[in-house]
Amino acid sequence: MYINRALLMAVGVVLIFFPAIEGWVSSSESAWYRPYLLWLLVIVAAYWNQRTRYPDEL
Amino acid sequence: MSFSLSQVLLFIFVYLSGLFAVAHLADRGIIPERITNHPAIYILSLGVFAGAMASNGVIELAHRYGYSFLLYYIGVVAMFVMATVLLLPLLRLCRVYQLSSLADLLSFRFRSTWVGAAITLAMCITLLPLLALQIQAVADSIHILSGHAAGDHEHYSLAVLFCIIITLFSILFGTRHQSSQDRNTGLVTAIAFESLVKLLALWVLMMAAVYGIFDGFSGLEQWLVQNPALHRAMEPPMGGDSARTLLLVFFAGAVCMPHIFHMAFAENTDSSDLRKATWGLPLYLLLLSLPILPITWAGIRLGHDLPIDYSGLAIGAALKSTPVTAAAFVAGLSAASATIIVTTLALANMCINHLVLPSTLLPIDRERSVYIQLKWVRRSLIGILILAGYTFFATLGGKQSLTQLGLTAFTGTLQFLPGVIATPYWPNANRRGLLAGLCGGLLVWAAGMMLPPTSGYYPVLLTQIHQNLFNGEGSLWMTVSLASLAVNTGLFVVVSLLTRTSSDERVAAEICSMDDLARPTRRTLTLQSASEFTQQLAPALGERTAESEVRRALNELRFDEQETRPYALRRLRGRLEANLSGLLGPVMSHSIIDRCIPFQPGGQAETEDIHLIERNLDRGNYQFTGIAADLDNLRRRHRETLDKLPIGICSIGGDGELLMWNQSMRSITGIPPEDVVGSLVDSMPAPWRTIIDDFLRGRKDSLLKTEITSESGDSRWISLHRTSADSGNDRVILVEDITEFELLEEELLHSERLASIGRLAAGVAHEIGNPVTGIACLAQNLEYETEPEELRYTAQDILRQTERVTRIVDSLVNFSHTGSGSGEASLAPSNLADCVDEAIHLLSLNREAKPVEFINHCDRELVVLADSQRLLQVFINLLGNARDACDDYGQVSVAATLRGEQVSVTVEDNGCGIPPELQNQVFEPFFTTKDPGEGTGLGLALVFSIMDDMGGNVQITSPIRKPPQPGTRVTLQMTQASYGTTFEV
Repeated sequence: MYINRALLMAVGVVLIFFPAIEGWVSSSESAWYRPYLLWLLVIVAAYWNQRTRYPDEL
Repeated sequence: MSFSLSQVLLFIFVYLSGLFAVAHLADRGIIPERITNHPAIYILSLGVFAGAMASNGVIELAHRYGYSFLLYYIGVVAMFVMATVLLLPLLRLCRVYQLSSLADLLSFRFRSTWVGAAITLAMCITLLPLLALQIQAVADSIHILSGHAAGDHEHYSLAVLFCIIITLFSILFGTRHQSSQDRNTGLVTAIAFESLVKLLALWVLMMAAVYGIFDGFSGLEQWLVQNPALHRAMEPPMGGDSARTLLLVFFAGAVCMPHIFHMAFAENTDSSDLRKATWGLPLYLLLLSLPILPITWAGIRLGHDLPIDYSGLAIGAALKSTPVTAAAFVAGLSAASATIIVTTLALANMCINHLVLPSTLLPIDRERSVYIQLKWVRRSLIGILILAGYTFFATLGGKQSLTQLGLTAFTGTLQFLPGVIATPYWPNANRRGLLAGLCGGLLVWAAGMMLPPTSGYYPVLLTQIHQNLFNGEGSLWMTVSLASLAVNTGLFVVVSLLTRTSSDERVAAEICSMDDLARPTRRTLTLQSASEFTQQLAPALGERTAESEVRRALNELRFDEQETRPYALRRLRGRLEANLSGLLGPVMSHSIIDRCIPFQPGGQAETEDIHLIERNLDRGNYQFTGIAADLDNLRRRHRETLDKLPIGICSIGGDGELLMWNQSMRSITGIPPEDVVGSLVDSMPAPWRTIIDDFLRGRKDSLLKTEITSESGDSRWISLHRTSADSGNDRVILVEDITEFELLEEELLHSERLASIGRLAAGVAHEIGNPVTGIACLAQNLEYETEPEELRYTAQDILRQTERVTRIVDSLVNFSHTGSGSGEASLAPSNLADCVDEAIHLLSLNREAKPVEFINHCDRELVVLADSQRLLQVFINLLGNARDACDDYGQVSVAATLRGEQVSVTVEDNGCGIPPELQNQVFEPFFTTKDPGEGTGLGLALVFSIMDDMGGNVQITSPIRKPPQPGTRVTLQMTQASYGTTFEV
């Protein structure tokens, strides 16, 4: 079984910081598009991650 | 602002025709392949996930739960961002084994037709709310556009009209290709086009909402500031448990929903596209979700009396803008039509593979192609499925919102998640556990989510659980979702652990586990060639289909139709099973292939096909890390070492299949590895087939020297060594080319022979010395002789001595010529008895030799065809050896018998005999058992050579009697001759 180590670490980090992230995203004083910024960050990370080729590539 | 019904229907027809035109242009190649095969098209086609729920239902979610509406997208985003966890392993399985649906996957993993049928039935039932959602969204939109009030009778008529139109187009889209295994380029391009249209329409709506309703983004910000309560409502998303459940439901939907599964796996041609989708699809969904909040807020600000889901239409109406209204309608229409088309196509394929074909509802018609039969069945099923969706929609009577319908469907498909996760991760799971869990989970789901809207009955037990566990907070659907999943998983685990897992399932589990995707084994097929495959498959598939499938598999593997290599035949069988899996489903395919192309029963134990594993590893161009990389490096190093060894190595399986053939074997035999690896020893070219086959059958583990003559006439000498592998019946043969060594040895022998001639010359000089001394004495006597008679006698004596000298010199010359291999025998009739007498006479000249008795029994009249001088040499050598082997009272006899034209001459003695272990070597030059200085070891070698030159042969038999005087018999075979007129006597 091969699971990307970076992905495991990212999931761990998200779990640890989930309360803080949730508070920051849903703060009433924030701009309404704030969750989308976080989402964009995830997309950039996913783009960075997919550049590596893995052994399960067909 | 309203439109007539005919205008709306015409619009729908034109839009769907445009969509069909896109598919047609893509299929015909008019849209260039660089566009249709671009990863962006694949990513956009995954946007099929965003059905009417994304265009309409999600607005209600945003209205009710604030930011929690994003969970609808984030579930899918999470699944794709973590593609290595589930999507990529499943993609590998689906592509290798041509699995095009979840039912295919699970029935492949659990090796059961029941699993396939159960998954298909369950999928059809759980997807009814999703189809109803799409129908309701479009029917409501048409209803609103045409200016009718919701709920009246015409509402259902509109839905029927939409269903008829979408059924026609679904059939057109779904049955363009003969087999579900072909990539449907047109469908993928059309769905990608719809995703783009959907996105553009929503952005148009957002711009209309922001600039038409709020006077720009600053106006929107200002409105939000003026309505803090509304903004605050966004703050606390739905309760934590509900949010997590929602996330889980949509996370599962990304892999369990048949339309997404179909687009992600069945229509994927390159796994790198799925990798790109890990960021591409989240980006698309981000862009798709951005307009939702502005549209929702615009709907709230307008305070329209339509359901909040249709705020887009309300914005168009408020702005009195036909383009905005059209955009709102197109967003819903494109989302709904894409979902219906792909869902019904995927479900129809599942029904064919797991309900129709296994139940023999569709007997294979030998006269018609299977493809045509399947096409008609698929068309019918698409119609039936859309009809079922409409019936469900009509049964609900519009009492359910789009969101409720969506959640019902997604919660239903959540029940497949345990099976999907177990496929790559839990080898102990079995079919009984899966079916038990699925039944339990679906019962809870049906009781909690299907029963209330259809019958109005709310199960008390679920309500109590909701009260007790969650204090009545959150929605009931959350409790139903979690309870159904818990029951499902619990039953799955417990039943799997308590019941036996079949061997078939264990094999499939190994295949599905990520560590061991390819499990190539080496078993022998009953068929001998690729051409027999068609005949065997014809009774099951029909002749035309069988022929076309076998040809297709051969083309894909780039094998010839006359292929006979066992390795190639095994691969052909595997490819046929995979291809038929795409056509008939994995269970049917497995059953047909097992029945028509079986392996030999009771054959050798299954062994891994090392050659295929290595080939896959080499071709895969994998980049391993950690210990896998180390092991791969070791493998490569060992392979290189074996390949470059200066000794030929070939490995042969117990069934005679060649498994390895290194580069040295190539240079020794001239046969490249790709021609023989995977084939049987019997199919190798001559002379290697005979040599290796004989060696494998023989008892000896080594063959020190054997000569091979190639077709061009070149001779080579090789030595063979054999060893058996510790495991299995595999054998390894080492082949050493000793040609150079042999040539060197021959050269050395020649040099040694020349040297021995030199040494013989000394002996000859001594032999000549005696007659010369005799001649000198006779010449001295001659000086004083006066009597003419005495003079004559003396002269005769001199002449005899001279002849003796001549004979000795001739013998030496003859030997040297014979030894060099250039001697030419001049055959003539020779009297055998005279020749033997002469030899005995010559030997008796040596007074120092043992006084053995020579007896000549040869017939005085017997004449043989021989060179008399060289035959004399033969007898001298044989009788001399016999004398040496005897004691002082020994007896050596020579006899001859005539059998037809053949004369057999035997020279027997009563000496010490020749030990059996030396008998093979006595004819080799310089082999002697005599003391140093007493024998040259050339005597018998010369006999062999002379007899060979004269067309005869020589054999040795020893012992010929019991000890103490076992004796030796040398037998010469010669041809009889006679003194005819041709020969001068």
